[in-house]
Amino acid sequence: MSGNYLAIVNVPVQEWGELYSEEEAMNIGTIFHDLNKPFFAAESVLTSINPIASSEGNAGKTKEQSDREQLMTKITQISFFLDDLTLYLDTHEKDIQAIQLYREKIKECDQLKKQFAQEFYPLTRPCIPFCISDSEISFCWQEGPMPWEGACV
Amino acid sequence: MWIYEKRLQYPVKITKTCPKTAQLIISQYGGPDGELSASMRYLSQRYTMPVKEVGGLLTDIGTEELAHMEIICAMVYQLTKNLTIEQAKEAGFDAYYIDHTTALWPQAASSLPFTAIEFQSKGDAITDLTEDLAAEQKARTVYDNLLRMIPDPEVQEPLKFLRSREVVHFQRFGEALEKTKDKLDSKNFYYFNPEFDKEMFHGKL
Repeated sequence: MSGNYLAIVNVPVQEWGELYSEEEAMNIGTIFHDLNKPFFAAESVLTSINPIASSEGNAGKTKEQSDREQLMTKITQISFFLDDLTLYLDTHEKDIQAIQLYREKIKECDQLKKQFAQEFYPLTRPCIPFCISDSEISFCWQEGPMPWEGACV
Repeated sequence: MWIYEKRLQYPVKITKTCPKTAQLIISQYGGPDGELSASMRYLSQRYTMPVKEVGGLLTDIGTEELAHMEIICAMVYQLTKNLTIEQAKEAGFDAYYIDHTTALWPQAASSLPFTAIEFQSKGDAITDLTEDLAAEQKARTVYDNLLRMIPDPEVQEPLKFLRSREVVHFQRFGEALEKTKDKLDSKNFYYFNPEFDKEMFHGKL
C-alpha cells in the first residue's frame, strides 16, 4: 500500500467511519464526520434542520405544494447521500459496508423518485413511464417548475 | 451520455435582489476557479487516464461540478431576476446589464470571460491529479472569500455546502493519486509518463 515518499503528494486514504444522517449531511456538505472541515466565518450560519422546505415558509402554501416539497426534500437528501457515497466507492471499491449501504439507499431513492413521478411530475426521463397524468394528450416531461426558479425546492 | 435531473443538488431560494452579490458569485460560474472550469478540466483529463478507476472518479466529480455550476447559476439568476435599472446602476452591475441584460454568461467577478486557458489537461496522470488537488483548494479559497463578504444566510447556505464539496473532492483526488502511485515504482515515480509510455507502464503490472 501507499507510503510517504519524497517529491510527490502523499494523501492518506480515508478509512470508513461515522456518518451523518441524511438531513445533517445535506447541511454540512458531506456524509463523513472525518471530512467535515468548517470555515470559521461561516460557522454563524444557522442552518435549519431542513434547509430545503423550512416550516416558516409554509404559510399560504397549498397542501399539494407542501407535500411536493416534503417529498422533494427527501429525494434531495437521499440523492446527496448517494452522491457522496459514490465518490467514496470510486476509490474504495471493495468496502463491503459502503457497498451494502449504497444498495439500500439507491433502492429507497428509486422508490421515492417513482412516487414523485406518480404524484407530481417526472424528475428524469427514465421516470416518465411512472407518470399517470394525462400523458396521452400532453407530454409530461415539461411539467413542473424549472429547478432554478426556487419554486419547488 | 448524461441524464438530466430536474432538481438542484442543493436547493436555492433567494428572496432578495442583490446585483452586487450576483457579480461576486458569478466568478464560480465563469471565473478561473469556477465550477465550469472544474467540470471541463476533469471531463477533459479522464480519457487518457492510465488507471481506469481514476477515469471513473474524474467522470463522477466532473458531473457533480456541472450540478454545482447549475447551483451557482440559479443563485445569480435569483439575485437578479427582479433587477431594476436603478439597482443595476447603484451596484455597478450596469456594465454587465448592457452586454447580457439579466441573462447568465460565464465570466469572472473581475468580468474576464470564461476561457479554457484557466485549466490544464496535460496528459500525465501525476501532473493532472496534482493540478486537480490545487484546483479544489483554489475553489475552496474562493468560497471562503465569498463567505466572508456575503452576510445573507439565503446565499451563505448554498455557498457553505459548495465549499464542503471542495474538501471532499480534494480527498478523493488524493486517493486517486495514491492509486496511480501504487502502479508505479516508488523509487522514481517520474521515470516515464504512464499516460504516454504505455508499454513501460503495463510492463510494470
